[in-house]
Amino acid sequence: MKVAVTVNGVAYERDIEARLLLSDFLRGDLGLTGTHVGCEHGVCGACTILFDGEPARSCIMFAVQADGHQIQTVEGLASPDGALSPLQQAFHEKHALQCGFCTPGMLTTLTAFLKNVPAPTELQIREALSANLCRCTGYQHIVEAVIVASRTPLP
Amino acid sequence: MKLDGTFTFGGPQESVWALLQDPAVLARSLPGVEKLDASGPDQYRGVMKVSVGPVTAAKFDVAVALTDKVEPSHFVMQVDAKGAVGHTKGTAVIDLAPVESGTEMRYSSTVQVGGTIAAVGQRMLESVGRTMMKQALESLDRELKARLANGRSAT
Amino acid sequence: MPAEHRYLSARVTRNEDARLLTGRARFVDDVQVPGMLHAAFVRSDYAHARIVSIDTSAARARAGVVAVYAAADLGEYLTPAPLLVPPPPIPDVVFHARTHLPLARDKVRYVGEPLAIVIAESRYIAEDAVRDVLVDLDPLDPVVDLEAAMADGAPRVHEDLESNAAAKVVQTKGNYEAARQQADLIVRRRFLYDRGASAAIENRAIVAQWDTGAEELTIWDTTQAPIPIRNGMAARLGLLESQVRVVAPFVGGGFGPKIMMFYPEELVIPWVAIRLGRAVKWTEDRRENFYATTQERGQVHEAEMALTREGRILGVRDHFLFDTGAYDPYGLTIPINTQCTLLGPYDIANYDSRFTAVFTNKPIVTPVRGAGRQHGVFVSERLLDLAAKELGIDRVEIRRRNLLGPDRFPHNHGIMFQDSAPLVYDSGNYLPTLERAVEMIGYEQLRGEQARMRAEGRHVGVGVVCYVEGTGIGPYEGARVTVEPSGVVRVATGVGTQGQGHYTVFAQIVAEVLGVDVTNVKVVTGDTREFQWGTGTFASRGAAVAGSACHAAALSVRGKILKLASQLLSVPEDGLELKDARVEVNGSPERGLTLAELAGRANPLRGAVRPGSEPGLESTAYFGPDRGSTASGVHAVMVEVDPETAMVDIKRYVVVHDCGTMINPLLVEGQIHGGVAHGIGNAFYEQLVYDDQGQLLNASLMDYLLPTATDVPPIETDHRETPSPFNPVGLKGVGEAGCIPSGAAFAQAVEDAIGNPAFEILQIPMSPDLLFDLMTEARRG
Repeated sequence: MKVAVTVNGVAYERDIEARLLLSDFLRGDLGLTGTHVGCEHGVCGACTILFDGEPARSCIMFAVQADGHQIQTVEGLASPDGALSPLQQAFHEKHALQCGFCTPGMLTTLTAFLKNVPAPTELQIREALSANLCRCTGYQHIVEAVIVASRTPLP
Repeated sequence: MKLDGTFTFGGPQESVWALLQDPAVLARSLPGVEKLDASGPDQYRGVMKVSVGPVTAAKFDVAVALTDKVEPSHFVMQVDAKGAVGHTKGTAVIDLAPVESGTEMRYSSTVQVGGTIAAVGQRMLESVGRTMMKQALESLDRELKARLANGRSAT
Repeated sequence: MPAEHRYLSARVTRNEDARLLTGRARFVDDVQVPGMLHAAFVRSDYAHARIVSIDTSAARARAGVVAVYAAADLGEYLTPAPLLVPPPPIPDVVFHARTHLPLARDKVRYVGEPLAIVIAESRYIAEDAVRDVLVDLDPLDPVVDLEAAMADGAPRVHEDLESNAAAKVVQTKGNYEAARQQADLIVRRRFLYDRGASAAIENRAIVAQWDTGAEELTIWDTTQAPIPIRNGMAARLGLLESQVRVVAPFVGGGFGPKIMMFYPEELVIPWVAIRLGRAVKWTEDRRENFYATTQERGQVHEAEMALTREGRILGVRDHFLFDTGAYDPYGLTIPINTQCTLLGPYDIANYDSRFTAVFTNKPIVTPVRGAGRQHGVFVSERLLDLAAKELGIDRVEIRRRNLLGPDRFPHNHGIMFQDSAPLVYDSGNYLPTLERAVEMIGYEQLRGEQARMRAEGRHVGVGVVCYVEGTGIGPYEGARVTVEPSGVVRVATGVGTQGQGHYTVFAQIVAEVLGVDVTNVKVVTGDTREFQWGTGTFASRGAAVAGSACHAAALSVRGKILKLASQLLSVPEDGLELKDARVEVNGSPERGLTLAELAGRANPLRGAVRPGSEPGLESTAYFGPDRGSTASGVHAVMVEVDPETAMVDIKRYVVVHDCGTMINPLLVEGQIHGGVAHGIGNAFYEQLVYDDQGQLLNASLMDYLLPTATDVPPIETDHRETPSPFNPVGLKGVGEAGCIPSGAAFAQAVEDAIGNPAFEILQIPMSPDLLFDLMTEARRG
């Protein structure tokens, strides 16, 4: 089946099997390995991408479902000149990542969240994060990073 | 998993007994059975397809044995099913007794499940088991009534 | 160390973050090699069975399948995995080593044991073909429960043994029997402590590539120990160590099981790659991870503590069963940790500790963050709590009365630790840590308010528990520090990293010694091409052991820098200073040389050098501590329990810990936070549920519950430092500290909240069901 999808602003057209998962398509066919696969049943959130701007779990979607849509992955969050987004920078400053495996899913989920809720409380942040699993950080530094990012004026 | 219960058939005990010993009837009535043939005295072999939760259309090779027969009121059915996504071993003790509206069957079964179905289908097992049992018994009851209506009683 | 510490105890942000934040960090599953094939494993659905036949013909016939191998196809390569950790030389130890084969032959002993491997053009086709393989297994009765496994006539997991006892170990000190006679109180209980899966978010993966022309094998592996993997695989495959390169790139969390060696997959994939002449990749999926990656499980303890009426511990006796699973390649590390960690920070003169390690038809058990320490801490802390209740002594006070004082170090307990050295506490000062935790949680204040709150229907309680943990054990690690002609400092070491910040922490140590900026120190690790000697990242030893090696190598390079600069500047060495990547003359800073210039001068292309000198500014150093160093801490937790639903709300969590000198407090906090979250999972949510046929009933993240952001409270930390005398920087480990006393802390807090003396928590995890039943029983009783 043919699929035409825009990822991080770049248009791709491929001929693929109907059963190919979106996560495998991004990682294997397009070589965008920033999106990670942790469970393949939609629970851990490491595979979260932005599908037309909204967080979606690429491990439980078929690539053909993305035909005609816009996808943003972690590789598309920094500016074209390489400058980290305020959220990425805050993650760095607050040590909100250790092994980094869950981080792409955290960043995409939180990028969409901060657009919808620009000045969140700690409780709102924790609830927004509650479907993204992290085994390393205990979440505290991630929450602190989001607070810092939410207070950073956008350029 | 334990599955116990009672069911009232709308017909005489001898007719119910005859029905339960007929592999062709069982093949038609048990949900998911694709075929069931006699492979020896009181022994049957066949193929079943079952769905449990996220595991759909799982194919199983089935062996059934009927033992401890006390005609027309008591027998034990042993079922051994093996497939690529798991295996099942079950023992059902069946007792029949006449009641006013027909024949009451009491069944007491234990089922052990292994493999993928056990690992990811746990929460569904009991309800799927009950549903399959209900479907089977109602189907058998319809078969019984059809036979009686056609004037056949103990064939 | 220079007097002013720029990088020691500095909250430095990490060198490795940029790649991880932008999706440019390579993990093993990201590796793509042209022509790469994909593997999937056929695994046993039965916990215990004889293998009658394996028919791979249908699988081989499927389009896209390149090969299918079972045990019979491996020929002479089919030899058991090595015994990774032989038992320490404890007197009269009984130990039966039984390790697994790369693919099962004759018998399977746990659900998930690998039977065959399918190699295909894609993982999708490989998984299709797995279902084509017809496996005929003849089921045997399995043993699942520990006590049932030890009963007479129980089916034997290893039929050549008389029973399912894998090991029997007795460690004693003093004379418990005599101490018992003197006791005013003996508290005796049965405890059950269960653990669970490490559940790193990244599952395991391996890519193996054999370069036929160069005769070189490259293995990318999510391992915590690339060097031993390289050495072992080279030996098994009949290759020189230099022909094998193992790369552990970024690894998405280790927590212990990624250092189990050698997994069946690690043994088979490289063999297949060489045989087929094409690269082969295997990535574990999450469900597989629950069987195929090792885990920690439960122990059953019958324990008692003998005390005086003032609450002084006279002695402890603890007999327990340890579940080692179907095989025991990792030896006795976990239960020995349990034995040792039970002693805690207390002065216990008499101890009788015995365990039987039991084979069961379940996956192999190897250390998961904490590695058996949790079980020991739970037993001793619970016994103390129960004793305090019976004696009418405050539970913090009873701890004060038993702590080892600061004058008692080094303290030799006289029993053996997992590193085969006697258990010696190197340094510590426990009372101030306890007092600080008590102060931070507001213990006294809560005791004053508790009655009033209960009258208002609020059940709030506090748990305060202490622990000591052995860390930083040998045998050794190494590091090579090189100043490159560009002025960048390169550090190579062998310990792989799974998120602990090695790219930063080791850089800090070296930057401190050489007077350079930490961002100009590039750490290379996890690649056997870069460094060839070492053991791996485990047992909270990375900073203490590899860090100390980095320190030693940096000091040596510092010496070379000063010596060369002294010659070139004609100034004695003690008149020189290392500052901002330069060597400058004390008092005349304009006179100096950059490290880049010195590196160039140290490696001339022409001319003569002084006989006996070495080229470049490079040194390799190894560090092997005499024995491990002991970290310690106190956790204090405040909970509120709903008396009707038994739901526990964690209101506050305090950790005061001592990990010796801290290199980077920001990273230390991160380790503690992560450990506490894991401890919360262990205390309330996580349990691997096996039925009596050895089937795992919750092999998915939907049913195996990991704590989320709404389950972990903000964690308050404070640090104490008693430097270790066993390494020059004074480092101790902290990787496991956050999760060790959690079960004990929550049990004490929940009991305190309920306040009914008939309500006792003697097992972990505590599900709401369990608590509800206990509460109901206690109200009746």
